[in-house]
Amino acid sequence: MICFNKTPRGRIFRISGPAFRFPALRGRVFWLIAALVPFQLQAAPGAIITDFGDDQMLAELPRSVPEIPRDHESAEEAENHLQRLIILARTSGDPRYLGYAQTLINNWSEENLTDRLRVLRATLRQSLQQFDSARSDLERVISSSSDRQQRIQARLTLANLELVQGRYKEAEQHCQALQSTYPGLIAQSCLASVQARTAAPETAYRNLASQLAESINRQPADSTSRLWTEGTLGDIAAQAGLPEATVHWQRVVKATPDDLYVRAQLADWHLVRGHFERVLTLTRGFEAVDTLAVIRAIAMKRMDHPGSHELNNRLQQRFEEASWRGALLHARDVARFELDIENQTQKALRLATENWESQREPLDTRLLLRSALAADDKVQYQRVRDWLKEQGQSDARYPEFKQ
Amino acid sequence: MTVTRKIWLALLTVGLLTASGMAAGHKASDSFLYLDSGPTELRIDVALRDLSLLTNIDSNGNRQISGQELRQARPEITRTVESALTFSNGSGNCDLAGRKWGISEHSDGVYSAARYAIHCPDGEPPRALQYNLLFEQDALHRGLVSLDYDGQKRLTVLGPDSRTLDLAGIDTPGYFGVFTTFVYEGVIHLLIGLDHILFLLVLVIPATLSTAKTQASSGQSRALRGRLLELAGIITAFTVAHSITLALAALDIVSLPIAWVETVIALSIGLAALNVAWPILGRKTWKLAFGFGLVHGFGFASVLGDLTSGVSGLAVALAGFNLGVELGQLALLVVGFPVLYYLGKNRMYQKGAVPVMLAGIGAISLFWVVQRAPLF
Repeated sequence: MICFNKTPRGRIFRISGPAFRFPALRGRVFWLIAALVPFQLQAAPGAIITDFGDDQMLAELPRSVPEIPRDHESAEEAENHLQRLIILARTSGDPRYLGYAQTLINNWSEENLTDRLRVLRATLRQSLQQFDSARSDLERVISSSSDRQQRIQARLTLANLELVQGRYKEAEQHCQALQSTYPGLIAQSCLASVQARTAAPETAYRNLASQLAESINRQPADSTSRLWTEGTLGDIAAQAGLPEATVHWQRVVKATPDDLYVRAQLADWHLVRGHFERVLTLTRGFEAVDTLAVIRAIAMKRMDHPGSHELNNRLQQRFEEASWRGALLHARDVARFELDIENQTQKALRLATENWESQREPLDTRLLLRSALAADDKVQYQRVRDWLKEQGQSDARYPEFKQ
Repeated sequence: MTVTRKIWLALLTVGLLTASGMAAGHKASDSFLYLDSGPTELRIDVALRDLSLLTNIDSNGNRQISGQELRQARPEITRTVESALTFSNGSGNCDLAGRKWGISEHSDGVYSAARYAIHCPDGEPPRALQYNLLFEQDALHRGLVSLDYDGQKRLTVLGPDSRTLDLAGIDTPGYFGVFTTFVYEGVIHLLIGLDHILFLLVLVIPATLSTAKTQASSGQSRALRGRLLELAGIITAFTVAHSITLALAALDIVSLPIAWVETVIALSIGLAALNVAWPILGRKTWKLAFGFGLVHGFGFASVLGDLTSGVSGLAVALAGFNLGVELGQLALLVVGFPVLYYLGKNRMYQKGAVPVMLAGIGAISLFWVVQRAPLF
C-alpha cells in the first residue's frame, strides 16, 4: 500500500547498541564521551519525503466517519452517537474513536447528563482505564436512576468492572442484584464467572453449560445473551483447562468476527499449545489491534516466520510512540511484547506489575507470574500467589502454580 | 489499546470494520513536533487521517487519499496547521516560513510533514508555543514535542489542558538537573548498599595489614605510600570494571538476569574474604577487584534502570550515577582507611579483629547467596 524507501527511524527512550563504539574506551574516558554524545537516536523523525507519486495511495480513511457533534444535539442523538463511537472503538480496536467519544461527552455538563449518557460515559472511562470515575458514575445510576434498563446496564457494567479488577465480593453482590432484577443467562454468566475465579471453575462450567442448554431448549435465547454466555463458558473452560474452551469461543468468533476480546482469548489458547498456523489465521488482518498483533508476533517468532522481524519492528515503533505520549492504555500488551519478543524481563515485570494494579483478569495475572519468574523476582511472585490463595483462585494457565 | 470484555444489553448490529489492508497499527491521535536549532526551526507531522477531519483532503470522497489529492490540499493543510500554532517571545508573535513539505511515516500510517524556520520580530528565538490543533475534534489528541537545543533534549506532551509550552526550558530538569539528581542517587545507592560496602572493605583489608617485608625494609612513610598506591590500584580497577558493565547494561547492550547477578555479587564478597586468608585467587588484589567489579556494575545498573525510566538524557544520568558511586566510595575510604590503617599497627587487629571480620563477612555473604539464588 505504501511504497517509499523506509529510512531507519530513531528510538525514543532506549539507545540501541551500535550507536557507541565503545570497547576502545575505558573508565572515565568513556564517561566523558558518553556524557557528550548527543541523543541523535532518541525521537529522531524519519526524513520528509517529497517525491511521492500522484497515483500513490497514501492512506485509507475508515469507512465510518466520525460525525462532528452538532451544537444542539438532543440528548437522545448524543446517546446514540456516543454509543456508536464506543462500539466502533471496541470492534476496531482503534483508540481514535475513544477520543471522538470523549469530545462528545465533554460537551455535556454534569447536570445535563441523562442516565444513559452517564452509563455510556462510565463505559468510555472504563476503556480509558479510569476505573474509579467509571465506578462512581455507575453507582450513581444504580442508586438514583428511575430508568430500569439503565439501572440494569449499569449493574452489569459495574459487575464486569469489578470482575476485571479482581474485586470478587463486590462483583458477586452486583451479580446477585442482577439475578433478582434481570434473571437469565446474563446474570447466571455473571455468577458463574465469580464462582470460577473464587472457587471451582469446573463446577461453575458444568452449571452454566446446563443453564445455557436449558434456556435454549425452553425458548431460543436472544443472541446477545447466548453469545455472551458462550464467551463466558470459553473463559471458564480455559481456566479449568478444559479443551471445550475452543468450541465456545469459536462459536462467538464465527457469529461476531469483530469480538476482539474472544478472538484474542482463542488466539492465546492456540499460541500456548503451539498451534501457530491457527494463531496466524485468527490474527490475520488484525495487526492494527495491539493485543492480537502481539500474539501474532509471538507465534511468528516461535515458528521462525519470515515476516517476524518486520512485525516486531512495527510494534516496537508503535509502543515507543505510545510511551512518548505517556498514557499506556496497553501496558499488558507492551509487557507481553517485552517479555516474549524482546526478552526485556525487568521492563516486562515493571509493566506487568503496573497493569496488575488496575486489571486482574487471568491473563493479566498469568503475565505477572510469568514476568516475575523470568525476572527471578520472588517478592512479586509471592505477592501474586498470596492474592490468588486469598481469592481461592486456580487457573490451568498459570505457570508452575500449585494451590 | 488492550482488548477487554464489554457488553450491551440492547441488541445492536454494528457495521463490521474489517481490516482491509491495514498495514499500520491503531494509535490514539498524536502530532509530532520537533523543535531544534535554538529553537529557530520546527518540524511538524500531522496524520492524514486527522487532517481529514479538518480539511478536504479526500476530494473525490472515495475514503482513500492519493498523492495527487494530498498535493492539491497542501495549501489548505499548511494553512490549517500554521493557524493552530503560535510561537511568541517578548517582542510579539513570530512568523513561520516554510522550508520543506512532504510526507513521513509513523506507526499508524502516513503523515503530512513540514519544516519551518521560526522568525520572531526581534530576531531572537521564540520563548513560548501555543498549540491548538484538533482538540475540538478529538479530546484525546496530543502534540508530542521533542525539544533539542541549548545542549539538552527533552520530550514533552501538549494536551487540551496544557496547550502552551515554555520554550525557555525551566519546566523540566535539564542536563544539569538530571546530572545532580543522579550523582545523589549514586552516592545513596553505594551508602545503603551493604554488599558493595562489604566488598570494598574486604578489598581494603590487605592494604592495612603490615607484612614482614614492609616492616623490615622501610620506614613508616614509605610503607604508607606503598599502601596508598596499592589501595589506589585496587580502587581504580574496581571503578573501571564496574563503570564498563554499568554502561553496557544501562545502554541495553548486555543484559543479565538480575537474580544471578545479585547472587554472584554476594558470592564475590565471600570469595574475596576467603582470599585474604587463603589467596586462592592470587595475591594481586587489583585483578580480583577488576573481575568482581564487572559483576557489581550489573548490580548498579539494575538500580539505575529503575530510576531512569522516562528520563530523557540517559547518558547524563549514567555519568552522574557513576560519579555518585565513586564519590560514595571515596568518602568511605577517606573515613575508613585511616581508621583501619591505625588499627593495622595493633597485633590484636591482625590476629583477632581481621579474622573475626572476615569470618563474619563470609557468613553474611553465604547467607545472601542462599537467599538470592533464583532456585525456587
